[in-house]
Amino acid sequence: MSLPPSIVLEGAILGLDYGLLAVGLVLIYRTSRVVNFAQGQLGVVAAVFLVKLFYDFGFNYWVALVISVALAAAVGALSELILRRLFNRPRVMVMVATIGLSQVLFLFTVFPFIRPKKLFQPFPVPIDWTFHVGTFLFSPGDVLTLIVAPIVVIALAAFIRFSSWGLAMRAMAENSESARLSGVWVRRTSTVAWTLAGALSAVTAVLASPSQTSALTEVLSPDLLLLALLAALIGGMVSLPVAFIAGVGVGVVLDALQWNITNPSSGPATVELILFILLQGALLLRAASLQKGARVGERSSWAMGTAAFRRTTHAMRKTVGSTGVGISLLVAALLPLFVGVGHSYLMSQICIFGVIALSLTVLTGWSGQVSLGQFGFVAVGADIASHIGSGLPLIVLLPVAGLATALVSVLVGLTALRIRGLYLAVSTLGFALFMQTSVLATSCFTLPLIHKQICSGLPNPQSTLLARPSLFGLSLSSEQAFAWFSLGVLVVSVVMVRVWRDRGIARRLIAVRDNEIAAGSAGIPVVRTKLLAFALSGFIAGYAGVCLAFATERISTSTFDPTFSILVVSMVVIGGLDSIPGALLGALYLEGLPAIFGASPTVEFLTSGVGLLAFILYLPGGLAQLLHSFGDLVSGAVEQLQARRGGAPPLDPARSVSAGPADAPQGRRSPAGAGALTTVEP
Amino acid sequence: MTPPGGRAAAAAGPARLDIEEVVVAFGGLRAVAGVSLSVDAGSIVGLIGANGSGKTTLLDAVSGLVSPAAGKLRLDTEDLTDYIPEERARLGIVRSFQDCRLYPELSVEDTLLLCEDARYRIDILSTTLQLPWARRAEHAKRGAVDGVIGSFGLERFRHHSTAHLSTGTRRVVDLASIVLANPRLLLLDEPTAGIAQREAEAFIPLLRRLHEVTDSTILLVEHDVPLVFELCSTVVVMETGEVVASGTPDEVRRDPRALAAYLGASEEAINVSGPAAPSSLPKAPPTE
Repeated sequence: MSLPPSIVLEGAILGLDYGLLAVGLVLIYRTSRVVNFAQGQLGVVAAVFLVKLFYDFGFNYWVALVISVALAAAVGALSELILRRLFNRPRVMVMVATIGLSQVLFLFTVFPFIRPKKLFQPFPVPIDWTFHVGTFLFSPGDVLTLIVAPIVVIALAAFIRFSSWGLAMRAMAENSESARLSGVWVRRTSTVAWTLAGALSAVTAVLASPSQTSALTEVLSPDLLLLALLAALIGGMVSLPVAFIAGVGVGVVLDALQWNITNPSSGPATVELILFILLQGALLLRAASLQKGARVGERSSWAMGTAAFRRTTHAMRKTVGSTGVGISLLVAALLPLFVGVGHSYLMSQICIFGVIALSLTVLTGWSGQVSLGQFGFVAVGADIASHIGSGLPLIVLLPVAGLATALVSVLVGLTALRIRGLYLAVSTLGFALFMQTSVLATSCFTLPLIHKQICSGLPNPQSTLLARPSLFGLSLSSEQAFAWFSLGVLVVSVVMVRVWRDRGIARRLIAVRDNEIAAGSAGIPVVRTKLLAFALSGFIAGYAGVCLAFATERISTSTFDPTFSILVVSMVVIGGLDSIPGALLGALYLEGLPAIFGASPTVEFLTSGVGLLAFILYLPGGLAQLLHSFGDLVSGAVEQLQARRGGAPPLDPARSVSAGPADAPQGRRSPAGAGALTTVEP
Repeated sequence: MTPPGGRAAAAAGPARLDIEEVVVAFGGLRAVAGVSLSVDAGSIVGLIGANGSGKTTLLDAVSGLVSPAAGKLRLDTEDLTDYIPEERARLGIVRSFQDCRLYPELSVEDTLLLCEDARYRIDILSTTLQLPWARRAEHAKRGAVDGVIGSFGLERFRHHSTAHLSTGTRRVVDLASIVLANPRLLLLDEPTAGIAQREAEAFIPLLRRLHEVTDSTILLVEHDVPLVFELCSTVVVMETGEVVASGTPDEVRRDPRALAAYLGASEEAINVSGPAAPSSLPKAPPTE
């Protein structure tokens, strides 16, 4: 292993950016107790605006810089004002809100007011100093980073050390409640922290941008965020200096690895693997201190009171509900007959994403374990399909892939036994990245010691072609047939998850989530129940992966981009956590709307980002809550209609509403009320 | 372990608990510093003492939430020391918690069903496919829960989530789960915490009835001294992690060390509630 000084320096310069990002993460975490997924994007807005001011408006660089940094600070403060409403919500919820925030911030960068006319032009740098180390030329951007980053961090450290705001922030980091009681203005302090974090993020983006080709810098990209998170975690999410130095260290280690591991096919994967191991190590070693600071509410429970809106007083409610389900099912089943190939394909996608969302409903909604890496599990299923898909009948392949993925999922879940909530989210995000870049991309590797070659990933990571199999002799090659197949898989999944919900599985998961100690003392095996959630969720994600692979017919590593995992989280939150119809509505909303309004990243980010924020802020029950209110409304109307009929003999409510299938038995079981009573006794 | 698909074959009837020289240390602090205690089968033993005297920690050690640094715990003849809480629960040790938080998002019905769940193995395959025995098991669980809901008058709250119940109702749900759990040894941690004085008095017959119905041994931690003296056959006084006095209520009442440790010199404190002389003292206003 060789380590030339130029590589160390290059790594350190990259690492300074990770360090700055990590410092921002720690700053927010200390005051707001949330992992801020928007930390990168806050500054990207400023960096893009800087380009706009410099090239399009011809501003002086320094003036443009000051304005941009001020803009980012303002955006940071504004973000805090929005997120402040979530002060008493579970922290995990706030974290999901920051994901929404980062997507909304992305929208800023496409506003014509902020977006520069020409995207691909060199990012402005105010100096033109360069220097050599060996044969390696360091650019002006590198020099700028080397000078500015340490100054900014030292200034920040001094501010926190010596100012009264800094003292307040440190007090809040120790104990927010006590700090509040002893007169610290918690909310204002938190605004100051976010303002600082915004400015810091702007500096980070401005320093990181010159090395990138496009002005739309990719500070948001999950792998960069993960590096910063790794550094922040090494600092225990508390220590600014440790996080900063760890960031530099991560940069050096990464660059040294990349320099030494030169094999083009397996090289990047090995680096990812080492990073993943480092991340797990940091999480496990820091688990004790990370958990110590966590308040009860932020550990796992969503505790959103979503159960409250499920209660209803309407006697007709069940009938109306099943009628609605029947009608939607009928429409969905007939749809492929009337729409074109493109829309049939879209319908398959929506159904499959619905199934993936269901897997997250089980894991996150019921068991309270936040997974930002659900597509890692989907990828396992798809990978299995690509390897043994042609050899097995589809009906066997689906459960086999499900079981294999369940196994992988349980292995990932093992770390969840020690780390919970926010940190599990980080860990699973790492898993999804690891799956995408290491497992899927290395097609083959040789086992050490026994020198046996094992092929793990996609046969061709850039683009693997898959032929759709047939089901019971029926060909699925047409989009129409596949849409029906996907709908079938979705229906079976919903029925299965409903059985889990109503027949004793869900209550175990929720009990362990809500009160682990009491559940254990009551004789519910806590560890097994937690792993069960991972197994069930992995099972669903696994066979959904098979379906996804066959639906797209051509899969590549980019099919399993970790951003999709975040999209699935958005679906579940927008739909309504722990609600089965919610998961489906979320998939319909996030996959369907972009199709109507044209699929562009802008529309996607608009629907998911704005949707996420709006729902978390104003409608924590999600679309499911809306649906439920609508159901109540219809039930009320139907009851009134019946009452108006007066002396007429009471009808079977099922028949009076519509001819939806399978209504009658539901009607009989409805709670005691006028209509129900007359139905039961004919 | 539970036989596949069946109820745990736990022995019936009250169990005897032996605590021998148990030490629980948190860092340098010895919260329980060598406590020895025997709880006879079928008795009600009260554990009193000031805050921080180690009562709850001792209960935690018995239910398995903390592991003792030294000492032995035995239920009848079984050595509990290496058992995790779930395994102790299967032996019939049932624990109620001071905060009585239960499971905020679960409905009352599901909370009670959970007590029944503990006795069955999770069998995913047969539950998913709704095989006959899984249906029968769920049916049996619901039958048992329906009975308890009826006898505790919880029908009205069946579908309410626990988070929306008043503390008093949550205590009732907790008691209902205790009955369902079929305890052999019942550990109660301040069952009257958060309940008005007048309602606390009603707890004496209620706890007696619970003792009868469940046919169990009860180890009770309680601050309401008169309640303890009225109810328990043996009273144990703890101070800074050690037992300073134990015996029948009358013996403890006269024990100078007990008086010094917790009861104080005043006879009045002993008589705050309980049927002895309650009417002469001001009552807390009845609350929900």
